[in-house]
Amino acid sequence: MLSLSRVETAGARPVLRLAIFLVAAAVPFALILAPIGSFMVLSLFRAEKHQIIHDPTLVNYVNFFGNWTYFGTFLGTLLLCLEVMGLSLLLGYPIAWFIWKRRGGVRYLLLLLAVVPLFMSYIVKLYTLRAMLGLNGLINQVLLGLGLFERPSRIFLFNQRAVLMTMAVIYLPFVILPIFLALERIPRSLLHASTDLGAGAWDTFRRVVLPLSLPGTIAGGLFAFVLALGDFITPQMVGGTTGFTIGRVIYSQFGLAYDWPFGAAMAAILLATALTGIIAAGFAISRQKV
Amino acid sequence: MQTSGERRAEIMTGVVTAIVFIVLYAPVMISVLFSLVEIRRGKILWETLSFEPYVTLWSNPSVLAALSNTAIVAFVSVILASMLALLLALYTQWSEAIGKRFLELIIYLPFLLPPIVTGLALLVASAQLGINRGLATLVTGHMVFVLAVAYRLVLTRLQALPPSLIEASFDLGASRWQTLRYVLLPHLASAVVTGAMLSLTLSFDETLISTFVAGDQMTLPLRLWAMMRVGFTPEINALVTLVLLVSIVLSIVTALRLRPKGELEED
Repeated sequence: MLSLSRVETAGARPVLRLAIFLVAAAVPFALILAPIGSFMVLSLFRAEKHQIIHDPTLVNYVNFFGNWTYFGTFLGTLLLCLEVMGLSLLLGYPIAWFIWKRRGGVRYLLLLLAVVPLFMSYIVKLYTLRAMLGLNGLINQVLLGLGLFERPSRIFLFNQRAVLMTMAVIYLPFVILPIFLALERIPRSLLHASTDLGAGAWDTFRRVVLPLSLPGTIAGGLFAFVLALGDFITPQMVGGTTGFTIGRVIYSQFGLAYDWPFGAAMAAILLATALTGIIAAGFAISRQKV
Repeated sequence: MQTSGERRAEIMTGVVTAIVFIVLYAPVMISVLFSLVEIRRGKILWETLSFEPYVTLWSNPSVLAALSNTAIVAFVSVILASMLALLLALYTQWSEAIGKRFLELIIYLPFLLPPIVTGLALLVASAQLGINRGLATLVTGHMVFVLAVAYRLVLTRLQALPPSLIEASFDLGASRWQTLRYVLLPHLASAVVTGAMLSLTLSFDETLISTFVAGDQMTLPLRLWAMMRVGFTPEINALVTLVLLVSIVLSIVTALRLRPKGELEED
């Protein structure tokens, strides 16, 4: 721990320490914590004819859990996010492992190729993927060319499956990177020791590599889950009228539907879900490290 | 000394990697191609090759306005976030600081939570305070979003500095201020710059928070989104290509700066 105090024993007075804390924390408090608090408070009010009635009530939460249109959409979104997480882990782990196994320049190049899409514009990725899945898109062209389809099909776009595939592709780099970093941290000596003790490649993977890479894998899965959870543009762009997710419902409350307190209540539920995921992942990772 | 099983596993994962990389990059190549030539019935019409969409783009006032907004928001928010990250990192590494864990949690929140929550929180807060949404709220949104990244990079560097460096500075008679100015800051400068690069890249592409806080201002991703709803035109493909080019250049520069010396070498 670095310290700028000359004499460690002579600590600053408690009042002074509190004052310095408040100065340091002022901006994060004002710009992060207070806004989150303000929409939590808003979720306890209700809207009537586009007017917000400042009278504490749980009616928004009751409406949410009592109305299957909303609660069902929420459960459907959770399932979708779990599917996105599963699919991106299923693809991301083998890719991270393959890159980890490479050496020298090839390894660095592959890693760079895996990471660059992280920074490619989200909206651009959506646009290009939508073009690929569409009626005249690459997938249809390839299938037509191979003679598998007689005419272009619409099955790839504007449904839940399209949302799942698009999200998995967009969020895949967020999964590959933490898994690779976890693999990278495994000391080579452990792998040599495992081989020297007579373990085969599969045993070494199952008993050494996989358990030690779990923290990164959990972190990657969490990223995919949380990012998919709040995404409201992907479902709109590739999901069409059937690709409804809770993010999209929340967004509409702040636009056309114009019921801010209800939107805030749903966002509070989304926040609680994301926090639960983060805490569960943190718990799983800390258990792994023991 | 590879076993056949391991060999097979490498071939299989290699195939997965190749396919996924094609899926990740093919759309990019296609939009570049589409911005230059027309394609009909799967055939590239080379005679239509033209850079005109790129030229007309520069005379499109709404694109230019979005571009200037994106640049302003990115630079202002990144500069503010970098300074704040430096101060916060110095604070949380101070041996007598209180509430470190709590403060760190708040700093990381906008990065951990779905962007829709951060965007919404700022929207509701600005509405309650009667602040009109526009460039100021966009800057705020981007700043809290990139703060976590900037903070993390400065903190990692600060933790890696040997305490003896500071002790030596004090022993040589430097004051606290001199130690900060002549010892700590020069060592942190490159981490701050790397954090700023990464933040610029993130701010340039930020879409989900921006939707809520932009008001009637447009940033480049929002402009693109609006254009995309209309349909596919060579002009959009040209803009997409330019946006991609900027993102890729920024991310490669950042990746090269982040590359730890020797870490990826043979062991």
